[in-house]
Amino acid sequence: MAKVGAAVWIFILCALAACTNNPYPDADSGRSVLYRTMRKSPPKTLDPAVAYSVADHLVTGTVYDTLIDYDYLARPYRLIPGLVEAIPEEVEHGDGTWSLSFRLRPDLVYDTDECFELSRSGARSRPILASDIAFELMRLADPSVGSPVGAVFARIVGYAEFTKRLQALRDGDPAFEARRIDEQYREAGGVDGIRVRSDRDLEIVLSQSFPQLLYWFAMEFTTPVPWEAVVYYDGEDGRDVFSEHAVATGPFRLTRYEKRSRISLEPNSNWYGIRHPEWHAPGATYPTRGSQEDRSSGLLDPRYVGRPLPFLDGVELVFENEQIPGFNKFLQGYYDYSAIIEETFDQVVSEGGLTPGMEAMGVGLSKTPQAAVYYVGFNMDDPVVGRSGGDRSRLLRQAMSHAIDSEEFIRLFFSDRGIAAESPLPPSIFGSEEGEGNPFRRVDLDRARTLLAEAGYSRGIDPATGRPLKLSFTTGDTSARARLRYQFFVDSWRRIGIDVEIKSTNYNQFQDVLRRGAYQTFFFGWGADYPDPENFLFLLWGDLAKSKSGGANSANFDNPEYDALFLEMRNLPNGPERLAIIGRMLEILRVERPWIEIFTPEEYVLSHGWVRNLKSFGMSVPMLQYLDVDAPARTERRMAWNQPLEWPAWVLAALVVAAVIPGIVTFLRERQ
Amino acid sequence: MIAYTVRRLAYGFATVLGVLTFLFALFFLYATPEDMARRALGEKAPPQALEQWIVNHDYHHPLLWNPDNPGQTLIVDHFRRMLTFDFGRSDADDVLVTRRLRKGVGPSLSLTVPLFVGGLFVSISLALFVATFRETYIDRAGVALCVFAMSVSILLYIIGGQFLIARVLRWFPISGFDPSPEVIGRFLVLPVFVGLAASFGEQVRFYRTVFVEETNRDYVRTARAKGCGDGRVMWHHVLRNAMIPIITRVVLAIPFLFTGSILLESFFAIPGLGSITVDAIHENDFATLRVMVFLGSLLFIVGQIATDICYTLADPRVRLE
Repeated sequence: MAKVGAAVWIFILCALAACTNNPYPDADSGRSVLYRTMRKSPPKTLDPAVAYSVADHLVTGTVYDTLIDYDYLARPYRLIPGLVEAIPEEVEHGDGTWSLSFRLRPDLVYDTDECFELSRSGARSRPILASDIAFELMRLADPSVGSPVGAVFARIVGYAEFTKRLQALRDGDPAFEARRIDEQYREAGGVDGIRVRSDRDLEIVLSQSFPQLLYWFAMEFTTPVPWEAVVYYDGEDGRDVFSEHAVATGPFRLTRYEKRSRISLEPNSNWYGIRHPEWHAPGATYPTRGSQEDRSSGLLDPRYVGRPLPFLDGVELVFENEQIPGFNKFLQGYYDYSAIIEETFDQVVSEGGLTPGMEAMGVGLSKTPQAAVYYVGFNMDDPVVGRSGGDRSRLLRQAMSHAIDSEEFIRLFFSDRGIAAESPLPPSIFGSEEGEGNPFRRVDLDRARTLLAEAGYSRGIDPATGRPLKLSFTTGDTSARARLRYQFFVDSWRRIGIDVEIKSTNYNQFQDVLRRGAYQTFFFGWGADYPDPENFLFLLWGDLAKSKSGGANSANFDNPEYDALFLEMRNLPNGPERLAIIGRMLEILRVERPWIEIFTPEEYVLSHGWVRNLKSFGMSVPMLQYLDVDAPARTERRMAWNQPLEWPAWVLAALVVAAVIPGIVTFLRERQ
Repeated sequence: MIAYTVRRLAYGFATVLGVLTFLFALFFLYATPEDMARRALGEKAPPQALEQWIVNHDYHHPLLWNPDNPGQTLIVDHFRRMLTFDFGRSDADDVLVTRRLRKGVGPSLSLTVPLFVGGLFVSISLALFVATFRETYIDRAGVALCVFAMSVSILLYIIGGQFLIARVLRWFPISGFDPSPEVIGRFLVLPVFVGLAASFGEQVRFYRTVFVEETNRDYVRTARAKGCGDGRVMWHHVLRNAMIPIITRVVLAIPFLFTGSILLESFFAIPGLGSITVDAIHENDFATLRVMVFLGSLLFIVGQIATDICYTLADPRVRLE
């Protein structure tokens, strides 16, 4: 027994002696593999029809290529061809329909996968066909898939009818549901407006003009999906479910998908960019043009410009349950880039720049405004703050707008990581410059009090009750942190004499309150699906009013002039004409004040000096194929930063021995 | 003995039913199917998508009472599934729950088994050591150290361990897990060490009491009279005779090796069963959470019965009536 005990102690001591804090196998140190953490949670699903969170897109955006891509460097954002040869233009037909024609590049193939056995015995891959895109579009319409964006595609001719026919067939005959999914779609007659013209040609017929549809083809919802994968990966007999298994069409393929610990990716040798570097396809080579700013920040390095992608040997996405360990590993050089966490913000950033300690480590900081906006909205259906109150309500809204100090709000609650908003359009969106200089977003309490008096609420007193005007403020987050933020608005309004009461609920109840219409003011935000002003200005379009149609216009703003301008703006390409219309729309919002625009969050990303070509995108498109790392430099820094300090162990051991030995000696002496 | 076991099993069954009822009530008091759908689909999902999710995941049935078809309620489905071990798919990502359990059990065991075995050896040898030098300053310092170690929260050990050992001294990775044999060791040393630090105080105190009691017995005096040294007396005679309380503790602890360590796994990013439980709570994943709670309660009952039976095996004087 004593021997076993001794052996265990020796084992423990040996383990302590062979120590290193390197979390990766030593053999990997020379490879240019990018290491980063996953977002706050691991991906929920890899099914491209369903994946809709930043965490999901980090993987789906890397393994699935899209028909259309974004230019990596261009801002404002610019679309470039991806799997298609050219970006199609919408064609108007005389009969009240519009159409888009996509032509796939030649010789596109899927990554090798055993699911292709289903179509041909022994097959491990097959060409990417136009019918695979049609299949995926039908999946979006299929209620059993449960896509969150199915409704977007309702402007495709016959789309809603297909959903109904499919549902009716399933309800009518249980045997139908047991059939292969692609056969079910065929049986249901397909979607009239999705026409497969050849293996490489797909035509989409629309019942309304829909220029923004192109952006949806730059998202993974519309990526080609082989029916074999959906059928084969059903979770039975030890096979994965399709939501956990991706058949790659993009620059990387999954080699390990343990989403609660590690996700490993390696270049997909079947990707067209790797198979056909001679094409110099825009979506598969590093951009040759960029701004002066890109040039000065090293994003137009001649070693990369115009070269075929991807540059990395692999990508490792590691899941960190807790943020602090993840950030500490970044500081040790084991993650190549990192977000900044609240707890260590002051150690990293001071006065808007990096602290000297961070600079000495060669860390870089990039700040990117997100394509998102947070706002306080008024319910325009409400008699006190809304349209039926006429001038009086408008003056009240203007006064309340004057009272809110966005800069202070951002400083207090977001450590200055944000840009005060003056219009619904964030800075990276076309037309945002038209929103600058909004007089009603200047903090001016005197002016606010004057406006309030004009509205009939002198010093905030409601003449009907003789007491301060009482309003409710509905919010969708019950956490203590969020409550503090909401309290900021309440306190601001109290300074002009208005008594606003917070009504906190959880997010679902909040949505429910909005649906029922029992609210006066509320706090909400919007992150863009695609970088077009339409994707922000539609939030105030009368047709989408929550009370009328259950749409996204929670303020129930309904202004005929705005609506007419919106419809005109929606169908115009970016240019002076569109800019002028946007300017007029923003002017209406400025005066009418259905929203008090608060801020656009800024993403702060820290990266080590050995990371090449990193430019934050501001939307959830991962773009990992453009990145590279200087592996030898990284290894050198990691070695220098992570030399273990061993002497404290020996000192501690010596102290323990020194403390115990006299006792043992005395004990033994007394025993004799 | 058989009657006793049957009776205990019946109690156990009633306990499990109670746990399942309580879990159901607690969960649905706190969350609605809409909340679950919202969590699974994200903030932007439109109401139609939420409704579809609820139908696709069978949460559209009434909670407790369905006048049209009394069998089709959530609570009936809940009990039917658990009692037939038909665990279904996770609400968060549609993966079979049994598959997640299979994936999680390896990482959990690779943490809990070394922690358990190491904890046993470290505490028993330290307890023997201080028991040998009882009533000296070594013993008293040991008591002080143990009481101190017991009083500190495990969270402090975790955060302090990560800061001091991984960040300042840079001996081991701060967190993470990789099952490949080359690196798995370096990920486990720190959580095992932290787990030991958090638990040795209480264990050493317990075993020391047992050993000190044994050292006053007649057979110890006899052994000394025959010329046995201190080492042999303690490691050979005392340790063997102190086995009964040790076995009791050990057997009771074994079932919980499988449920993993929630805090350690969570902070050290070990993808074991403890992490699965925490994630299920965060993600409103009722399908996974109830399985973890159900299995936890089953293991607890099995552990209790096994302990009672071990008593009779280790000490013939104990009889189960």
